[in-house]
Amino acid sequence: MQIYLPIAEMSVNLFFLIGIGGAVGFLSGLFGVGGGFLLTPLLIFSGVPAPVAVASVTGQVVAASTSGALAHYRRGAIDLHLALYLVLSGILGAFGGVAAFDLLREAGQLDLVISLGFLILLGSVGTLMLIESTRAILKHRQGVVVRERLPNQHNWIHGLPMRVRFKKSRLYISVLPVLLIGLFIGFVGSLLGIGGGFIMVPALVYLLRVPGNVVIGTSLAQVVAMMAATTVLHAVQSQSVDILLAFCLMVGGTAGAQFGASAGKYLRGEQLRGLLALLVLAVAIRFGLSLVIAPADPFSMAVVGGLQ
Amino acid sequence: MTRLVLILALVLALAVPAQAARLLSQLSNDTVEITSSFDGERMTFFGNIVPDAGATEKTLEGPFHVIVVVIGPTQNRVARQMTNNFGIWSNTAQVEFLNFPSYFHVLASGRLNEITDITTLTTNNILPESHTLVVDSNDWWRGAVFGQQLVRLMTEQGLFGVQENGVNFLSDNFYSARLTLPSNAPPGPYLALTYVFKDGQIIARKSEGFAVRKIGFERFLALSATQQPLFYGLICVVLALFTGWLGGVLFRR
Repeated sequence: MQIYLPIAEMSVNLFFLIGIGGAVGFLSGLFGVGGGFLLTPLLIFSGVPAPVAVASVTGQVVAASTSGALAHYRRGAIDLHLALYLVLSGILGAFGGVAAFDLLREAGQLDLVISLGFLILLGSVGTLMLIESTRAILKHRQGVVVRERLPNQHNWIHGLPMRVRFKKSRLYISVLPVLLIGLFIGFVGSLLGIGGGFIMVPALVYLLRVPGNVVIGTSLAQVVAMMAATTVLHAVQSQSVDILLAFCLMVGGTAGAQFGASAGKYLRGEQLRGLLALLVLAVAIRFGLSLVIAPADPFSMAVVGGLQ
Repeated sequence: MTRLVLILALVLALAVPAQAARLLSQLSNDTVEITSSFDGERMTFFGNIVPDAGATEKTLEGPFHVIVVVIGPTQNRVARQMTNNFGIWSNTAQVEFLNFPSYFHVLASGRLNEITDITTLTTNNILPESHTLVVDSNDWWRGAVFGQQLVRLMTEQGLFGVQENGVNFLSDNFYSARLTLPSNAPPGPYLALTYVFKDGQIIARKSEGFAVRKIGFERFLALSATQQPLFYGLICVVLALFTGWLGGVLFRR
């Protein structure tokens, strides 16, 4: 069944949209990531113009993360105080990201920056996560009991000035790294059309030492608020949010996220992180190959300005 | 000297119409409406070649050839080329084409080079390549290369095309032409230009307009996205939050 998308100005198969929304939603529920880093490339490969894909996926990420965030909220697994700091600095970063997005699109370098950005970010994050989770899994096999968090296991980042107490996370740390993480993820997220959960989760775990039981919930809450703001920014700045496209993805995504969240209960934290690392690395390799392999068609075209 | 004679002959031939003719033509639809299930639309152009008003003959003797040119709304479009720098492929060169048609299809009753000569085709902008000649750069060679690539890319998208069997004559004077507008046809005003040829000369021409536009809900969405962007963005967010919440409620076990 074909459906016409009024902003993308093309017709696509409705079941294809709901299908990829559902599949990505399942993974987002499983890993606590928004799923944008999978959905945006998938849409671009299926012919949706890159600006429309990036802008509409931000809307979808809001929906996919809302059900997950609410589920974690009911379980009391969100540090709202920490999320607030991340969101406020994230929105600031999103302003910069949306502006950079427009500049790069005009210059014709958006695709290059998106590919490079995905390659560097996903490649480094994926490799780190894979190493860490493999180690944890091996230790688990050997029967070594690893405590979730050693008390007073602070690094120099926590010692910076302006300390704030985050009760839920049982942390008393400097607010500066928190704000920096939010700013960076806001910028990168709106530029690449991703929620940034896959950067947020490791950043919270390894840099801030947020305990595992609140990491995913806090990350999801942050993604919901920041992506909501980014959707509005994209709608105002580039007017390329396709509400129909976003809605089709949302329907599939929210359903998939529920199944993903319940499937996640059967896996241990390090196993989840290992699987996510593999997924992230696969996408990074895909983007890396597109940079070095000779394109099938060295020529491309784009519309500058709107219809006249 | 022979060239001068040729040019003179050409000028004379252009000045005196081969035969006074008139074209009575019609489109199957003057608006193409884009609805939620829009998946392209088939259009038919038909017409009759009759003697000009006040002419003595009752009918005209063929054989005639008809070319129908359908042009969509114009946009500024860039063609870009990727090159390999230090092992990484990136866009390094681009040429901008101002007022480039977003849709261009030529339907003809025969092979274009048998209907008329290249000069008539290019001066009347009947060939896709004739739209790539207007480049705002002094580097005409680069413009020509990129223009050719742009036409190829547009053809691959189904937005450009030449169908040399697109026009059928049902009788000596009556023709019909079929065109399938693809689902990615950009909305806006379209122009259908019909040329009637006899012995390589244009003996009649006519232009008709039709519109491709979104209607109903699609039109409402597209309008609100451009006219009320803030409100539109907020609605998107509310919809997303609601869908996410509803999903959680429905699937909670």
